[in-house]
Amino acid sequence: MYSGIHTISLDGRHGDFSGHLDATGFAGDPCLVLTTDPKPRLRWTSELHERFVDAVTQLGGPDKATPKTILRTMGVKGLTLYHLKSHLQKFRLGKQSCKELTENSKDASCIAESQDTGSSTTSSTRMLPQDSNDGFQVTEALRVQMEVQRRLHEQLEVSSIKVQRRLQLRIEAQGKYLQSILEKACKALNDQAVATAGLEAAREELSELAIKVANDCPPSVIPIPSLPEVAAYLENGFAPSIDSCLTSNNSPVNSPAGQSPQAALLKKRQRAVFSDPSRMDDVWIS
Amino acid sequence: MKLPSSNINNIKQQVSSGGGAIGGNRYEPKSVLDVRRSPPSPITGKSSEFHSSGVVFPEDQLPNNNNNNNNIEHGMIHQFEEWDSLMKELGLHDDSSKSAAYPLDLPDLPPIHTEANAPATTAMLFHSEFENLNPNLNSALDFMGQDDEDDENNNSNGNGFDFVDELIRIAECFETRSIQLAQVILARLNQRLRAPNGKALQRAAYYFKEALQSLLTGPTRPTQSSSSSEIVHSIKAFKTFSNVSPIPMFSDFTANQAMLEAVDGAMIVHVIDFDIGLGGHWASFMKEIAEKAEVRKVHSPAVRITAVVPEEYETESKLIRDNLWQFARGLKLRFDIEFVSFPTFEYLSFKSIKFIDGEKTAVLLNSTVFHRIGAGFINDLRRISPHVIVCVDGEPLTGAEPSFFRQTVIDGLEFYSTLLESLEAANVGGGGGGSDWMRKIETFVLLPKITAAVEASGRQAPSWREVFGRAGMRAMEMSQFAEFQADCLLRRVQVRGFHVAKRQAEMVLCWHDRPLVSTSAWRF
Repeated sequence: MYSGIHTISLDGRHGDFSGHLDATGFAGDPCLVLTTDPKPRLRWTSELHERFVDAVTQLGGPDKATPKTILRTMGVKGLTLYHLKSHLQKFRLGKQSCKELTENSKDASCIAESQDTGSSTTSSTRMLPQDSNDGFQVTEALRVQMEVQRRLHEQLEVSSIKVQRRLQLRIEAQGKYLQSILEKACKALNDQAVATAGLEAAREELSELAIKVANDCPPSVIPIPSLPEVAAYLENGFAPSIDSCLTSNNSPVNSPAGQSPQAALLKKRQRAVFSDPSRMDDVWIS
Repeated sequence: MKLPSSNINNIKQQVSSGGGAIGGNRYEPKSVLDVRRSPPSPITGKSSEFHSSGVVFPEDQLPNNNNNNNNIEHGMIHQFEEWDSLMKELGLHDDSSKSAAYPLDLPDLPPIHTEANAPATTAMLFHSEFENLNPNLNSALDFMGQDDEDDENNNSNGNGFDFVDELIRIAECFETRSIQLAQVILARLNQRLRAPNGKALQRAAYYFKEALQSLLTGPTRPTQSSSSSEIVHSIKAFKTFSNVSPIPMFSDFTANQAMLEAVDGAMIVHVIDFDIGLGGHWASFMKEIAEKAEVRKVHSPAVRITAVVPEEYETESKLIRDNLWQFARGLKLRFDIEFVSFPTFEYLSFKSIKFIDGEKTAVLLNSTVFHRIGAGFINDLRRISPHVIVCVDGEPLTGAEPSFFRQTVIDGLEFYSTLLESLEAANVGGGGGGSDWMRKIETFVLLPKITAAVEASGRQAPSWREVFGRAGMRAMEMSQFAEFQADCLLRRVQVRGFHVAKRQAEMVLCWHDRPLVSTSAWRF
């Protein structure tokens, strides 16, 4: 029956009791009941409302009907466009909120809700509650709207919490990963440093030995440590901590060219061992 | 664009009207050869050829052929080749490892230029031209106005624009192969920009200077494997970067979400990653896959990653492989990862990658990939039937394609000063003690990007969006979850000033309305 969600584009007057009447002319009309407030307002009795609804239906629904055409169709004396405009707007509002309910419901609970309220407002214009006060309909429409909004808001909050949680998990996962790859990289760096420094030291020592050989000493006197022993010295000389790599802001062992303090220490040790022939036995034995 | 072959004044006119290109669109090779042919040898620097005003081409060298319009396509192919040849001669080509001093023999190919907006070369024109060139550059102007305060390294107190101007001149020298002049200006600029201090634009200029310098002095990091200590530094810097700026996480998580949604329900998930970086985004991807399977009480799918990496990426590849394996084991996920080098991929296209029947494929691209290997492989993409193709674009938006190298430098300066500014804000907002970490990020995360961009920009690859469109790909809307996620991410960040915008189907992270990185999902 209704084409879809439409915007209410009436003349700025909202669902308020903004009808105003001329106090003089309408007192006599049997259909119109005027309030006796200081501000005389039209009371939409159920009878009047039924006529209104009939007229609207006749004209093709609240979307198609205009206040002017309704006025003509209803044929009620004393009824003005102002009355009709505001009433029509409230009527449309009531219809719209029901429509929104059925369109926007994503949750089963939401649908259930709409079905409940829907039954009480959709096409129930003919079955309006006994209370004929215009205000009731408006309040109902507003209430329904607020309910819809609350549900949507809840839905958004729930998904927002879900999103936050998933985001948190993802961020943590990436953080963990980066931490662990950093540790691996540091370890690789240290290993490389050990290897290169050790190689450096060994290379230096070998070249020094070669020089000695070339100079004077007979070959048999030169203590040549076996390879495992060199390795042992290397291992003992180094106990690099990965922590220092991770926390230091300065670059760890930069390149093979730059000697780290550990490498220098090792060299000194080895030199002490190698250059002291009297300790030769120690070397061989240990 | 017809250019009269007369005097300098006309050129200036053309330039200030924003229309003509300096020196026209295509030279007669002959004229270039005749005048410029002599190698810019160290002994006889040919600087006398050039006018002091900065306009590079002397009067007698104006072009006299104007049939450039139909040659644009042709020109693009040439430009690719000639940039390659220039790089080769400078010793920067991927294959060569020696650093040649200067090219001794310039090939007679026309320089790189288009009929697009020509950035002005003199300081005066530079300012007035800014508005015409690129509305976004107004912000760069604002930056430059602020630079008057920072004088420690800036000799020219009155005019902070100078270094930008110099950079543009250097770029122009590259365009015209005036290597000698480029070095002269660079040497001068080195005096002025000795360290990355000052405001964002000045620092960006410093890094661009470094990048241009590295182009001239030979290959350094781009073609050599990174050393272990460099890797440690860059991991640390990237880790800090992730913590202080939402940029990496925004692109990672948005891309992940698009891929996760596309491959949902598969028994085998196969992702082809052209820019794996450190592999961090796959950690969160796998975590999400494992979570979902657990929640649904189903078997988790197997995850296969094929990473296309530069040749010199061995050490990093090993680290990534080990680490991702460890991660997958922790999640009890069936996992496999393969690495394919760019040259192999260029040669074999998707035949270099193993595919398994029944798997769902996702492709993760990055706009810089197109600079590296062109866009031809996109045509092959259809054959492997990917469920989604995600593209992350962290480069400045270029205007008309193709563009001057100068324009690239200008766009780049503006883009990176925006980026630096956004980083700075994190510093002020209680990001931690000292600007040391910022310097590290700039050096190990941003500078490599700038260097790569500068090096690759000579290759006039057509815009990837165009290529996608021509290949018949359509953009997919990002899901609401992805949008929510991006909003959540920004809310977590301490710094105010970031926001997410939607540009058609792309989600763009902006800093004060200036785009930083965009993510989009596509399918055939």
